[in-house]
Amino acid sequence: MSEGTATGQALPPVLELLREALPDVPFEYVPTPLDPAVTVPREHLLRLMTALKEDERLAFDYLRCLSGVDYLDELEVVYHLRSFRHGHTIAVKVRAPADDPRVPSVVHLWKAADWHEREAWEMFGIVFEGHPDLRPLLTEEGLGYYPLRKSHPLAEIEDWQENLLEQVERLAAMAAPAGAPEVVDEKAQKVALAQRKAEVIKKAREEARAKGLPPEEERKYVQEALKRFEEEMAKEAAAPAAAPAARPAAGDERAQKVALAQQKAEVIKKAREEARAKGLSGEEERKFVQEALRRFEQEAGAAQAPSPPPRPATEGKAPLSAADKAARIALAQRKAEVIKRAREEARAKGLSGEEERKYVQEALRRLEEEGEGG
Amino acid sequence: MASTAPQHRHELETIDLHINVGPQHPATHGVFRMVLTVNGELVEDCDPVIGYMHRGNEKLPENCDYRQIIGYHDRTDYLAQFNTEWTYCLAVEKLMGLEVPERAEYIRVILGELNRVASHLMWAGAFGTDVGFFGTPFMYAFREREVIQDLFEAVTGERMMYNYFRPGGVAWDVPDDFEEHCRYVVDHVRRGLDDLDALMTDNEVFLARCRGLSPVTPEQAINWGLSGPMLRACGVKHDLRRAEPYSIYDRFDFEIPVGTQGDVYDRYLVRMEEMRQSLRIVEQALKQMPKNGPIMAEGLKRVLRPPAGEVYARTESPRGEYGVYIVSRGADKPWRHKVRGASFCNLSALREMVVGNYVADAIIILGSIDIVLCEVDR
Repeated sequence: MSEGTATGQALPPVLELLREALPDVPFEYVPTPLDPAVTVPREHLLRLMTALKEDERLAFDYLRCLSGVDYLDELEVVYHLRSFRHGHTIAVKVRAPADDPRVPSVVHLWKAADWHEREAWEMFGIVFEGHPDLRPLLTEEGLGYYPLRKSHPLAEIEDWQENLLEQVERLAAMAAPAGAPEVVDEKAQKVALAQRKAEVIKKAREEARAKGLPPEEERKYVQEALKRFEEEMAKEAAAPAAAPAARPAAGDERAQKVALAQQKAEVIKKAREEARAKGLSGEEERKFVQEALRRFEQEAGAAQAPSPPPRPATEGKAPLSAADKAARIALAQRKAEVIKRAREEARAKGLSGEEERKYVQEALRRLEEEGEGG
Repeated sequence: MASTAPQHRHELETIDLHINVGPQHPATHGVFRMVLTVNGELVEDCDPVIGYMHRGNEKLPENCDYRQIIGYHDRTDYLAQFNTEWTYCLAVEKLMGLEVPERAEYIRVILGELNRVASHLMWAGAFGTDVGFFGTPFMYAFREREVIQDLFEAVTGERMMYNYFRPGGVAWDVPDDFEEHCRYVVDHVRRGLDDLDALMTDNEVFLARCRGLSPVTPEQAINWGLSGPMLRACGVKHDLRRAEPYSIYDRFDFEIPVGTQGDVYDRYLVRMEEMRQSLRIVEQALKQMPKNGPIMAEGLKRVLRPPAGEVYARTESPRGEYGVYIVSRGADKPWRHKVRGASFCNLSALREMVVGNYVADAIIILGSIDIVLCEVDR
């Protein structure tokens, strides 16, 4: 890279023309193998592009390519231009800070920029100010991330997908034998109880010896201590939040994450629907969704952060939603079976297509009534 | 813009309807959807919806070694694989300052031009179906295309994803009977083109449906970013092989066919003539090609590390200007890898071309653009 404006170094002819046409716009000359490239400050871009298009000496009438590039702290837009009248080419580069990625649109100069700018917007999050219709082009609306940014690496996606698959398998396994994890818990509880009892006995015995009690009284003392301890345990068991102790945490964290992701997805969906109902534009809709997400995250953070006690509650919640899911899956399976059976019956009876459909619907309604009744 | 549709007399009251054409529709040549707003039979608005085939063909190569990327280019424009590979290899060669051996250049030109013929044949066949010929031109075109495919298979071992060009040359030498085989292909295809010509070019139905449909002026075409046959049909004599010669295209004598009206019929004529010109180039290349010699630049490392820099390489692919923009930071993977699809840019002007025409003509106009959705969506 070299300073085109500062040194007297020979510039390619097209850049000499550019300097002649716009003497007050500073630019930096970047030699590339095929096209001379210049970097210009963002505030001069629109003037420069207008001059490139409309100045007779330059007459760049063809926008052949527009690319976004992510340089981590900065985002760059590169315009490759060609002039059919003069046969020369140029590449114009403009940078915008990553936290303020706004660049003026050039659609009014070259219609060809329309889809290119939409693509650079959805892929890099570069906002082209003045674009008449800045909607995502290749991806769905409200994606929430910019796939071509370096902060969105491929490896993480793969990890995430693998985690998700594992999660699905785990949920399916949980759905089959309900209450299986409880057995494991009871065993652990018994062990913990025995250990605590042993400690109580030990402490009581030591106390008795310190007091200098004879062996007979010592035994009584220990038994009393044990009785007190058992009464306490009974009280604890009667309280609703029983056995907060021994469940292994690893699986729960995952389930919690899944539940959180599900809640988030619902928030996004609801916000999007609201935004559409309000008739917001694509850009506004995205902002609206992000706002809703932030609120949700704050609430979730507030629920988790201040006190440790709520933890068991959230811990209890995650398996519940999993069980919920399992129930739903079971219901869907039952429905599918009912449909299959009804269809077979209808065929065995030789009903027509229309009648068959009615027969199946009837069977389904019966199933639903049963479900509500039971 | 000028409409070819006659003025509608509003005797019957009509309401605006939205029609989804696609994404699974034979007339959209892939997974593409256009939402047409119609008033009776007239198209009042058109919103092309793309992205169904988006596979991250720009992101994935940013995590790949420079030689692994070649295969991704086969999978962008899957009807002009050699041309796309060529563009990418050209970009890497320009970055690294590589010289490609003579023989490899000739192999590239021959395969690239035959690939253009194969692609245009595919288009002609499919377009015939769009216009209403049903199977005949399709079969005629595919008979010739098959001959070319056989040659490609003999050279690369593949029928579709060739992965044959490398930065610095080609992967391996061509078979011994390559020259003979090529001459056979050229003769065969030339005769087949005459058949296709006789069947379509002067056909009255074909003329009635295509001539004067959706004319585009040169100024519009340039401003909309059209390229390739779409641009030349408007009368702009622009071909990258001549305007910005790459490889060894300055050694061949060939014409650049241009249209006069910029309508659908001109796009057809330009493509038909381009096939003949490509065959001429192949014949010249066969004559000039050195009988033996290296096919790969010397001194290349196992892992390519182009110096830091950037380049926008472009070639004249069958659909127009196929460009590859690479930013290198001196690593073994590109920092940025952007593909400028020719039919992506041509398709972006669909709305302007379709509005004001009949629904049935919209299908023909879409067909005349010659889109490959894998290249549009990348």
